[in-house]
Amino acid sequence: MAEPVLQVRGLSKQFGGLLALCDVNLQVERGEFRAIIGPNGAGKSTFFNTLSGWLKANAGRVLFEGRDITGHPPHRLTRGGIARTFQITSVFAGMSVLENVQVAILGYRGQTWRPWTPARTQHGELARELLERVGLAGEVGRQAGTLSHGDQKRLELAIALAGNPRLLLLDEPTAGMTARERLESIHLVHRIAGELGLTVVFTEHDMAVVFAVASHISVLHQGRLLAEGTPEAVRANPEVQQVYLGEAVIESEQRT
Amino acid sequence: MKSALAGLALLAALGLPFALSEFWIFIAIEVLAFALYAVSFNLLLGFGGMLSFGHAAFFGVGAYAVAILWKKAGLTMVLAFAAAPLVAALVAIVIGYLSVKRIGIYFAMLTFAFQMLLYTIALKAGWLTGGDDGITGLKPAGLLGDPVAYYFFALLLSAAAIYLIHRLVRSPFGYALQALKGNPARLQYVGVDVRRHRLATFVVAGAFAGLAGALFALSSGNVFPNWLNWTASATPIVMAVLGGIHSFLGPVVGAAVYVLLEVVISGKTEYWPLVMGCVILLLVLALPDGLSGLGQLLRRQFRGTGNG
Ligand SMILES: Nc1ncnc2c1ncn2[C@@H]1O[C@H](COP(=O)(O)OP(=O)(O)OP(=O)(O)O)[C@@H](O)[C@H]1O
Ligand SMILES: [Mg+2]
Repeated sequence: MAEPVLQVRGLSKQFGGLLALCDVNLQVERGEFRAIIGPNGAGKSTFFNTLSGWLKANAGRVLFEGRDITGHPPHRLTRGGIARTFQITSVFAGMSVLENVQVAILGYRGQTWRPWTPARTQHGELARELLERVGLAGEVGRQAGTLSHGDQKRLELAIALAGNPRLLLLDEPTAGMTARERLESIHLVHRIAGELGLTVVFTEHDMAVVFAVASHISVLHQGRLLAEGTPEAVRANPEVQQVYLGEAVIESEQRT
Repeated sequence: MKSALAGLALLAALGLPFALSEFWIFIAIEVLAFALYAVSFNLLLGFGGMLSFGHAAFFGVGAYAVAILWKKAGLTMVLAFAAAPLVAALVAIVIGYLSVKRIGIYFAMLTFAFQMLLYTIALKAGWLTGGDDGITGLKPAGLLGDPVAYYFFALLLSAAAIYLIHRLVRSPFGYALQALKGNPARLQYVGVDVRRHRLATFVVAGAFAGLAGALFALSSGNVFPNWLNWTASATPIVMAVLGGIHSFLGPVVGAAVYVLLEVVISGKTEYWPLVMGCVILLLVLALPDGLSGLGQLLRRQFRGTGNG
């Protein structure tokens, strides 16, 4: 059998007295579209931040394609083939949409040390292609900070794709969108991931979004992995229904 | 349009020394040195988002390096001069390595502390630095001893250095710097080693400040510990802000205005620092984007009245 793309073994993270992650074990195979769900404060972002090198784990190992990447700094991890987006949209607000993607391509390729060639001549075509792929072809000249929230999320996706990653970590890719935008946007990610053969791990609050695309689901609750499996299995799990799905139903009722 | 303006300014600079008295040629050389100093500073602040409060360290080290290597170590003046920016770069590697880990006010305080350390060395290591008296007798002999020739020497080096910095901020490195200024977290996740880019920027800025210091030392003929004092670090900050940190050539304008104001006002009153402070305060309050923001402001004004 092929090597799993991502293996997480016994990952723990503590903030002072708070155990935000406790002995999390997880394995993601190539081509999966894995959702990590759990109520607010369950530790989803902490999980992402710890395995992407932003936070230092207190214990545990992370393996990417079989290689140990525990404790690698973000830039090294990223060059190795892991891209991520942030729960709070994060683009280069002062630069144009095109420049955002150009600087990403330059970064992934280690070309930001070039001190002489004009940058605007670099990778323009590739950047345009990527922007077209996420549906931003019409906005290349806009200043990124002036884009709508949804378009900034798309731009972030293009930035993440610019390095030809093999693993994509998306922390709430649909946060702050309307219900319709959310589905549209996750279907876009799903389609692109299929086309490029990417493995995706994402967190999401909206169950409609999760069940629309996820191939596997992991449920986090108070820093522990509560359940894992196909959408059907997770949906049928009584423990999950009790601690999470019930709550989510209430939550989505409150939101609307 | 902008490059046309820069070209015109360069042409004017070429003719300038033939229209000026010797005194004003020295002032013009001072403007050139400080223009480079301010541009090198703004590479950090305006493009890298790093507010250094110790940039004088490198201006001072460049000046002391040419003085010590020439007068104490016995190198030729040309060699000593060429070595000055390299020495400044070496010092910037050390200070930068220890400072760029921190950001914001902590970075500012660290750079400030290192510069005060160098200031103390300049004061106390009299055998090397001349202590309080500094090092004098740095006027070049031969061709460069002629003010007009030295003016062209300074113009060539200052303009070339500023051009190099201009290329840098438009290069892939400059894009990364611009991205770093706005969103360092995101930049790490496109594979960029943010700290090393910060350090490289710091070293480049330090080297060019060192060049500016060496240029100014050979023009004024001396170097004093005060060049390393904290007030000397405020100078490029004021110049950059005065001219506008969002415009590449803003600090050049700021340096020219600052030096000229200082000359004019200090000739009129002994309270010139006070008057100078008030003038700068008014300018900064009236023009938050600096003097280079003035052009835009005027254009908008004209368009506004034209429409209405
Ligand atoms: N940097 C931090 N310092 C201290 N505590 C933190 C930090 N980051 C997160 N926490 C805490 O860790 C717990 C998990 O937070 P985390 O952000 O991972 O949850 P989440 O599942 O992503 O929640 P949400 O759905 O609201 O995004 C929370 O109790 C949170 O308050
Ligand atoms: Mg979160």
